Amino acid sequence: MQNLIDRTAEINKMLARYGVKFGIYKNNVFKEQLFPFDPLPRIITKEEYIPLEKGLIQRVDALNLFLKDVYTDKQIVKDGVIPEDFVFSSSGYLPECEGMVPPKGIYSHISGIDLVQAKDKSWYILEDNLRIPSGASYPLIARELCRRASPQTYQSNRIIDNRNYHKLLRDTMENVNCGGIPVIMTPGRYNAAYFEHSYLAERSGCVLAMCSDLFVNENVLYYRDYKGEKMRVGVIYRRISDEYLDPMTFNSESLIGVPNIMDVYRAGNVAIVNAPGNGVADDKGIYYFVPKMIRYYLNEEPILKNAPTYLPFYEEDRKYVLDNLEKLVIKDVAEAGGYGVIFGRDLTKEQLENMKQLLIRESRRFIAQEVIDFLDLDIMEGNERVPRKADLRAFVLSGETTKVWASGLTRFSRQADSFVVNSSQGGGFKDTWVLSQ
Amino acid sequence: MRKLKFHYRTVMRFDPPVCRHSYAVRCVPVDTQAQKIQIESRYVKPADSLNETVDGFGNHRYVGYCQGYHSEFEYEVRGVAEVESMVLQKEALHPIFKYPSKFTKHEPEVVELYRKMCPLEGDELQRAVFMMNYLYEHFEYVPGVTNIDTTAAEAIRLGKGVCQDYAHIMIALCRFARIPARYVVGMMIGEGATHAWVEIYYNHGWYGLDPTNNLHVDDYYIKIAHGRDYEDCVVDRGRFYGPTTQHQEVYVQVEEIE
Repeated sequence: MQNLIDRTAEINKMLARYGVKFGIYKNNVFKEQLFPFDPLPRIITKEEYIPLEKGLIQRVDALNLFLKDVYTDKQIVKDGVIPEDFVFSSSGYLPECEGMVPPKGIYSHISGIDLVQAKDKSWYILEDNLRIPSGASYPLIARELCRRASPQTYQSNRIIDNRNYHKLLRDTMENVNCGGIPVIMTPGRYNAAYFEHSYLAERSGCVLAMCSDLFVNENVLYYRDYKGEKMRVGVIYRRISDEYLDPMTFNSESLIGVPNIMDVYRAGNVAIVNAPGNGVADDKGIYYFVPKMIRYYLNEEPILKNAPTYLPFYEEDRKYVLDNLEKLVIKDVAEAGGYGVIFGRDLTKEQLENMKQLLIRESRRFIAQEVIDFLDLDIMEGNERVPRKADLRAFVLSGETTKVWASGLTRFSRQADSFVVNSSQGGGFKDTWVLSQ
Repeated sequence: MRKLKFHYRTVMRFDPPVCRHSYAVRCVPVDTQAQKIQIESRYVKPADSLNETVDGFGNHRYVGYCQGYHSEFEYEVRGVAEVESMVLQKEALHPIFKYPSKFTKHEPEVVELYRKMCPLEGDELQRAVFMMNYLYEHFEYVPGVTNIDTTAAEAIRLGKGVCQDYAHIMIALCRFARIPARYVVGMMIGEGATHAWVEIYYNHGWYGLDPTNNLHVDDYYIKIAHGRDYEDCVVDRGRFYGPTTQHQEVYVQVEEIE
C-alpha cells in the first residue's frame, strides 16, 4: 500500500496526461480541471459486498419496472402507491415517450446509484441516476495506472479485477442491439465527461460518434465514417440529455442531437441507452417512493435503505420538517450535481423563516432528509492521512441479467467541513476495491 | 353530420437555398369519434426519405430528410371529412393534461384572471363555457402583437393576441380550476390559415371549445393534432443548413359539400 501512496504524484501526472479531466461551466465559461485522485482506496469486504450487490440489483430491477409501468399501464398510480402528482408533474416525465417500450423492456441500462456508508457501516441510498450517469471511466483508468505503478499492491491484496467494465458495457449494449453497429454518441470535447466518452468507446470497441456523424434515413439510424461510407446503427449509447437528443421531438433549438432519431427508436429500429424519459424515475421526489416500488413490483422487502426522507407535500411530514428544519438537509427536486442542496444548520434565523415559507408555498418542489452521520474515509493530504466525507457511485448494468460492477466511483470532498462530494463542485476521487474474500 | 372538403397547403421558400434538411410535419388529420377522414391526395417534398409515424399523443407525423440544396419545401393534404357536431369523445384521461405545461404555467396573471371570474358555478363544462365567454369579452383578437413564443401569462398582460393565445389562456385557466384541458390544432370552415382551440375533459370524454370565436366545436371544424400546448402540436419543425431567409405561405380551404 505504501508503495502505491508513494507513487500518487506519478499516477496523477499520468491521469493528466491521459486527459482525465472534468469540465465545468461556471458563469458561462468552460473550464477543464483535473479530477484529483487519492491513492487510498475505499475497501469493501466480501461480506459487505454481497448484500450491497443484492440490494442494488433489486433496486434497479424495480426502477426499470416502474419506468415501464409509467409509460404504459400506470398501474402503480392507479393503485394509489405513488400520487399522480409526483409522476406526471415531474419535468422528467416525457409524454413524447408515452406508450414506447424499448427493446427487451429495459429503460435504465446503466444506472449510477449513489450511496453513503454510515458510521455503523450500513449503506444508505442517496440518489438514483438513471439518465446518463457518468464516472465509471475514472476508477477504470485509475486502476489501470495504479496496477502499472505498483503491481505488488494488487498481488498482495485479493481485489476483484474491475477492468471488465467495457465488456459489461458492450454486453449490455449488444443485448438490446436492433441490428447494426454499436455507437457511443458524444456532444464533443466541450462536454464535462468527454474523456469518459472517448475512453469507453476505445475500450469497448464501440464507434465514437459526434451527433453530426449520425443521420436518419427511412426510419433507420446511420453512422457516416470518415470515408463517407454509411453503416446502420443498432444501438446507441448517447451521452447527451433527452432534451437535446432530437430537435424534431424535444428542444427544437438544439444544435446537437440527431433529427428524427426518436422515430427510429419508436419503430424499434434502434436501441437508445439509456431510454429517453428515465428522468421520471430518478427525480428526487420519486426517490421517496422507491422502497414502496420494490414492495409493489417485486413483493420483496428493500435490502438497502433510503436516507430518512420527508416530503413536505404530506402534511405530517411538512409539520416535522418545519419543526426540525435546522437539523435537516433540503433538496430542490429539479436540481442535480450538488446544486440546490441546503443544510438547515447553515441558515440564519431569517433564512430559516424564508425557507419555511417556501416549503409551505412550493411543497412539491423540495424533499428534506436527515443528515446522515457519514463514515469518513481517509485521504492523503501531503504525507498525512485526514478524514473526509465520501460517497460511492455504484454502477448497475441491466442486460440479459442485472449486474453490479464490482467497483465504483468513490468521490470525496476536499474541504474538511464540506458534505458535497460532486465532481462538479471540485471534489476528488478514489478507486473502490471489492475484495474477493 | 356534415361533409367538408378540405385543402391544406404550405410552401416555404428559402433564399439562398438550404441543404441537409430534416423535418417533422403534422398536417394530416386522423379519424376520431367526431370525424372520419378520407385522404384524396397528399405529399411532402422534396424528400430523399419520408416516413409516417405517430407521436406520443397519437398525432400523425411525416418525418423526412432532404440532403441536396433546395429553395422550396412544401406539403399538401386534400381530402374529405365527415364531421359530427359537438361530440363528447369518450376516452380515458391521461393525467398529463391536468398539469401546467410550458406555455400554460400557473403564473400570477393566470391566477388573478381566474379570481376575477369567480365564483363559477355548474359542472366542468358549464364552468369552462363561462371562462370562454369571459375571455371572449375581455380579450381582443389582434394579429401581430404576440408570437409563437408568447405564454398564457404574457398574453393576459397584453390583453390581446390570436387563436394560439386564446387557447393557451383558456387551458391555463381550466387546469388551474382543476379541469383537464388540451390544445388542438386544426382547420375551420372557410379560407385562411390553421386554427387553434381547446378540448376540455368532463364526463369521461373530451369536448371542444373555441374561445377565439366563443363557440362550441361543431361540424365545421377538422382536427389535426392535440397536445399539452402549442409546442406539442407544431405543424412543421425543421432543421437545415444554410445562411438563408425563409418565407412561408399557408393556404387552408374548407368548404361544405353535398
